[in-house]
Amino acid sequence: MPKGDKLPRKVAIVAGGLTYFSKARKDKTQEELAAEAARVALFENDINLSKDDIDGTIVSYFSDHFENQLLFGSIIQDYLGFNPKPSVRIEGGGATGGLAIRDAYAHVASGLLDVAMVVGFEKMSEVNTAKGNEFIALASDTDWDFPIGGFYSGYYALMAKRHMEEFGTTEEQMAMVAVKNRNNAQYNKFAQTNPKMNPYGMRDGGFITVDDVLKSPYVATPLKRLDICLMSDGAAVAILASEEKAKKITDTPIWIEGTGAGTDFMRAGDRPRTVAGVPILPHEKKEWYKKLEYPGVHSFRAGREAARQAYKMAGITNPLKQLDVIELHDAYTSSEIQTYEDLGLAKYGDGGKLVEDGVTAIDGDLPVNPSGGLIGSMHAVGATGIMQAVEVFWQLQGVAGKFHGSAKTQVKGAEKGLIHSHAGTGTYVTVGVLGR
Amino acid sequence: MTEVFSIDPLIIRTPYEIDYRHSYGKTSPFFTSLSEGKIMATRCNHCKVTFLPPRSDCPYCLGETEWINLSGKGKIHTFSTLHFAGEKFLKDLPFTLVYVELEGVDTLFLTRLKTNHPEKVKVGMKVNMKISRQLEWRSSDIWAEPE
Repeated sequence: MPKGDKLPRKVAIVAGGLTYFSKARKDKTQEELAAEAARVALFENDINLSKDDIDGTIVSYFSDHFENQLLFGSIIQDYLGFNPKPSVRIEGGGATGGLAIRDAYAHVASGLLDVAMVVGFEKMSEVNTAKGNEFIALASDTDWDFPIGGFYSGYYALMAKRHMEEFGTTEEQMAMVAVKNRNNAQYNKFAQTNPKMNPYGMRDGGFITVDDVLKSPYVATPLKRLDICLMSDGAAVAILASEEKAKKITDTPIWIEGTGAGTDFMRAGDRPRTVAGVPILPHEKKEWYKKLEYPGVHSFRAGREAARQAYKMAGITNPLKQLDVIELHDAYTSSEIQTYEDLGLAKYGDGGKLVEDGVTAIDGDLPVNPSGGLIGSMHAVGATGIMQAVEVFWQLQGVAGKFHGSAKTQVKGAEKGLIHSHAGTGTYVTVGVLGR
Repeated sequence: MTEVFSIDPLIIRTPYEIDYRHSYGKTSPFFTSLSEGKIMATRCNHCKVTFLPPRSDCPYCLGETEWINLSGKGKIHTFSTLHFAGEKFLKDLPFTLVYVELEGVDTLFLTRLKTNHPEKVKVGMKVNMKISRQLEWRSSDIWAEPE
């Protein structure tokens, strides 16, 4: 920012809403799912805000292929009754939701909007699972990586194998991530794998053990069925407001204290392998990584860059100590471990140990994915990054238990949280720091 | 007649086909030279970086790159055997994907590994790139085999 320019306006999240997530919500259309989440946001949060107070929307969905409808943003805008106010569609693969939250932040911080509704959705059930995987694979390079039979579980398996080779990460450590997230989801009524509380939940969901994960069939070695996230139908809504408005809307606005966005080469193989190339965070020492080739295919430079920006903006100098709760993009158990390292929660190479030591468990020092994340709760792509923002918003307000239908998911006394949204093989990543 | 799966809610079949005419642009020589038995990459002589997949323009300096020939020798950087895939490739399962460190190339090349002994595959294993005799003008026209 040039000298003399004013800082952007402070921006808060003031309300959030989710749908029940499911492998197939055949009972509702996309716009009906959006309305379900919007109703929760507007009517179930403790706010002084009416629908007419919303100045515009940011609509977040990933795939025109899944929806078989171009310009779906317009359908959402008119179905929710916001015409003729401004609206924009955001798309950025798996990070679509995180980018939409960041875009809403920019709209409000700049003064273009005072109160913005972010609406994310995806309906992935209208094609079969193999076709769905093929559509997602079209978000890899279709000249080079897709024609050889590449698809996302394969790409992440290649990266996970390299992480194991480089650092000694084990399949057991990955399984522990699956168990943590899946079992957290059993206390969240919105979660797809929770058949007890979610009327649309997976019938064969429920609690799992490390043994269940290790015995589940390989999808792409070393990744097994239970190491891999869900495909979901559902929607999520977050409402953001300027400082002046936020204080009138709620007694407990949750401030967006930092935002960052990073990128990397579309094809993971094109990424450099620079010796000692790790961008160092404030609490790290250059000599830790003097022999490490970075980022290669074992680490996500985009995630590190997004974290670096968000931490700088929010004054985070020791994330493990300063953060109380995290919702991150656990598309794979391996990528949760990789992301611990990108976010600076553990040294590069020590991510597996962090979950093994229980640090990221619901009762650990820094709970990660208390909602169940993408493995336990949902991955309705365009809604995912918004779900994470809503979850951390509820955590910091202290109402997560109320919304989830169980006090078990509430991280007690949480004051500062982080959201992390991730696309491609680490192609776009956003990080946000939220605070009470 | 529209095929109906369910009445409440009403669920119908909606097929959709697309026929693209896709240009490889300036990277076309990679594919056409395969018929001469050559595997080529591009090199930025300014940045001294060699790319495969080829890039016509260097992402580091935005200068134009030049074609070079490769030996096709390399070693495995990482690998995975797939037991599931996108719909189009289900018929090929199981198959093994590898990132190869190719001689003279700075990027890693993602390709299939064809081997009769998948249990012997490991990181660091030496491989040679092979070219299909029936070119389909896709990246699947080349693959790796153990040396």
